[in-house]
Amino acid sequence: MAAKRPAARAAPGARPLADGVWAEATCAFERWTAGDQAGLDELVAVMTPVLWHVVRAYRLPADVAEDVVQTTWLALVRRRTTIADPGAVGGWLTTTARREAWRVAKSAQHAVPVADEVLGARLPAGRSAEAEAVEDDGRRRLWAAVDGLPERCGRLLRVVAFEQRPDYARLAVDLDMPVGSIGPTRARCLAKLRVALVQAGGA
Amino acid sequence: MSEMGREDLLAVVRTVWEERDPVPPGLVERAQAAAGLAATDAATDAALDLDGELVALMELVERSEELVGARGSATYTLRFVHGETDLLVRIAVDDGRSRIDGWVVPPEPMTVRAGGHEATVTDTGRFELDDLPLGMLRLDLEPHDAHRAPFATPAFEI
Repeated sequence: MAAKRPAARAAPGARPLADGVWAEATCAFERWTAGDQAGLDELVAVMTPVLWHVVRAYRLPADVAEDVVQTTWLALVRRRTTIADPGAVGGWLTTTARREAWRVAKSAQHAVPVADEVLGARLPAGRSAEAEAVEDDGRRRLWAAVDGLPERCGRLLRVVAFEQRPDYARLAVDLDMPVGSIGPTRARCLAKLRVALVQAGGA
Repeated sequence: MSEMGREDLLAVVRTVWEERDPVPPGLVERAQAAAGLAATDAATDAALDLDGELVALMELVERSEELVGARGSATYTLRFVHGETDLLVRIAVDDGRSRIDGWVVPPEPMTVRAGGHEATVTDTGRFELDDLPLGMLRLDLEPHDAHRAPFATPAFEI
């Protein structure tokens, strides 16, 4: 599948989410279910960053997003025996996190504007001004291209970018989109991003 | 420029989000602590419960930060829901000492356990827990009605 292809033409600074993440998760899960508690720590370390991005795509405030991540881990601990195929653990986790994020966002109307994301968008300092200027310029173009997407595109691509094999039917419900429209919408959103990157000259 | 493929574009999206909304410091460690705590509990539960029945987790529906005072004092409330049961918890931490006030709606006789402490829900639905250890904590609720299955809150930090 295309997912196995190395991102040889990726923009500067972009890197693929290693297929290794899912393999590592599977391996850690197997160790844990075999009785090694360190396997659970490793699984949490490998998958928590992925869950963070999937959950934050629902625009929950940071502390609420963190609770959703935690609830996901508790759900895994309590229901681990229901995961028959260790290879599916990554997908089980992202799906569970997404459902929980959706439920929390709906139930408490937690969804907020992107204010804290914008506040968090600070560039690290400490390198030579010139190198920083060049690099920041490239970065800013990438950010601007992603920011320029319609909101729904931005959220959809964030989820798709961090998940292994998103469940499209469920994703459609979560993002209030018609079932069956996710595939075409994703293609349109990717095309928009491609155009934006070309126009920004950042790719 | 050669045309960027799907994976290249998704890699750009990942890079941008990893930079602008990075995983908060300590999140992985806190998640490991919560999962580890739950795993220990689950092992205990499994040992005690022959049916292997899992305790249902309540859902966190609201969280408010009321006051953050000087010298590490803080007060906040959490609201959890499970079926028809609503649980409001007010947590006050002052100088390393913590106190939890809880309200169960509708009121129902239950035993609440957390961090080695135990309390009973009164007729009005209230309970209190004092001097709980700071760190990750979970409330276990066991209805006195034997037909009602026990349930628990997700772990939270005090």
